[in-house]
Amino acid sequence: MAPTDSGIASNLFNIGSDRLALLGKHHKALMQGYLDGFIDETAFSESALKKLIAARILWRPDEQQPLALRPLVSELIASMVADENRRQINADVAEKLEQIRNRVQAYRDAQYKGDYSVAELQLQRLTEHVHDLSGQFEEAIDSLWHRLNSDFGFVASLDDKIRENERAQKQLRRLLDGLDLLDFNELIELSEGNNHLRKLLVSQLQNQLSSHHSSLLEVQKRLVELLAKFRQQQARSMLIANMAAFLRQHPKYQPADYPNRSELPALFNQAASIVPQAAIALDNASDRQSLAELVRALPRYQPVTLPDTGSASFSSVMVDDEIAARQQALKTDVENFYLRVIDQGGKLSALEYLEQQALEWDSEIWLYQIIAEYQALPQDEKQMFAILRDEAPASSMNQLLLIRDISLSLIVKAA
Amino acid sequence: MLQHGPLLERLLAGDFICQVSDEDAFRHLSNQQTQQDINHYLRPLNRRLVSNDDNTVFFLGYFDLNKAAREQLSSQFSLTVQSLLPLLEWLQLVQETLGRDSALTAGDTIKLQEFVLRTEDNQSLRQRLNQLASDRFFNSQSEQLDNQVKLIFRRLKEHGYLLQPHHDRQYYVVTGKIDYLIDVIRFIRDEEHLPVDDTPSQEALL
Repeated sequence: MAPTDSGIASNLFNIGSDRLALLGKHHKALMQGYLDGFIDETAFSESALKKLIAARILWRPDEQQPLALRPLVSELIASMVADENRRQINADVAEKLEQIRNRVQAYRDAQYKGDYSVAELQLQRLTEHVHDLSGQFEEAIDSLWHRLNSDFGFVASLDDKIRENERAQKQLRRLLDGLDLLDFNELIELSEGNNHLRKLLVSQLQNQLSSHHSSLLEVQKRLVELLAKFRQQQARSMLIANMAAFLRQHPKYQPADYPNRSELPALFNQAASIVPQAAIALDNASDRQSLAELVRALPRYQPVTLPDTGSASFSSVMVDDEIAARQQALKTDVENFYLRVIDQGGKLSALEYLEQQALEWDSEIWLYQIIAEYQALPQDEKQMFAILRDEAPASSMNQLLLIRDISLSLIVKAA
Repeated sequence: MLQHGPLLERLLAGDFICQVSDEDAFRHLSNQQTQQDINHYLRPLNRRLVSNDDNTVFFLGYFDLNKAAREQLSSQFSLTVQSLLPLLEWLQLVQETLGRDSALTAGDTIKLQEFVLRTEDNQSLRQRLNQLASDRFFNSQSEQLDNQVKLIFRRLKEHGYLLQPHHDRQYYVVTGKIDYLIDVIRFIRDEEHLPVDDTPSQEALL
């Protein structure tokens, strides 16, 4: 440190450390002010407020406005807590470059005069400026990555994300433009004949900036990709909403008959399924061993021997009046169904009839009774009815056919 | 061809293969040589591999469009058209119920319980779900919210739009078939010049 500066420096030191201490002393209230956007003046004493304003930590943007944190302080906090909503990116390179030029000139002048302590100080300042320049990019890149990696999660809606992404891309372009301002030929000239300067301005700075440059390009690539993804998501949401609205408004809407066009759109070429079936083949001798094992693994049939029971129970048939009455009612309903078939002449579904007539029978019992009644008909009357079972396999594995419904129709003989 | 046996079986059964439904198979299918091999193998069955425009989902179509094939395609198409509105409404409902800022895409996870919980206390969502469940495509007879939701998700699983990674756990992953659905909608929109926008209007951008 130059002796002439020591007085100012110690004064600066005292003021600076006092003011930094102010930040620490009121940290909670100030942080609350950062979050709220204004300062709650009741949280401070009169003198504390005065000190904070004098320290340029707080200010009153307008007579009517409440006290707020100065922008630089807010920025400091935003950068410390990586709050991407408030973090600023400083892309101003020209100013820094100007300062560097001036410092180099001052350093050279001092050296020329032989004033080595001043030269030392200027070199120190120059180093700081170079580091600031590099740090400025580093901070910006960190902020960009942070936003990118959180998928812009700090804003809620997709539209906001798209806007934030576009803002980030603009910042990035400014940063890249800033990097372009740095002309290494000029820096080489500036540092000519001086090892210190060459190391600082050329090898070190160039290294750092070229790594910043490639980071920025990578971020740019990712931002563009992400923006494309956001836009795609947005387009998809809109397409879904608008198409659904269109179909709701036009319930009878029918698109053209694409499947029968000579040039079939690939999307609609969706073939019917084929489920391959396989069965045991005995012609392959080498498989016999494993087949035999499979057969052996089958659970064995065990004939159940029923103990002799007295046959007394068969002699007295249980007759319950209520059950008998229900049985009769079911029989009558089924007979009515048959009569309806005869009246109507066409095909009639058993379950539809059951529903139509609002009968209370369980559908399964109903179908059983219809089949039973059919089976009970004399042979020649049976031929008058065509019974059609609507059945389907229990599942793709189980070939057991389940009856879903029965349709009955009258066969009118042309006699 | 032998190593693709299970994949062929799935394709023949009418499954849509995407990155979510079968990652390995999807990787194989993205290989041109494998595509050729499979097409060669499927030729006698009058089948060939078809994919959507972005190649995110594969399925089988007919190689030769004979009369029988056309008939099958016609009935398949009318099923697809019938399913459009219920599927779109379901997509909207899920997006709104779960408070998502974008539409569902392949790979998204839906927790059934969360969906039920959020619908339960919201009368308008409840009503829309009720209406959706009784649509012919889902065809629910139940009045119970829980059963309706389960049925809707089961149907979507059967149709290949959802995947249930664990049989006994009620969470589902959206498959690439949703991309196919979107492509179908976009195709119909473009072909028929329907007044259905998918880009924000100028005012929205400003």
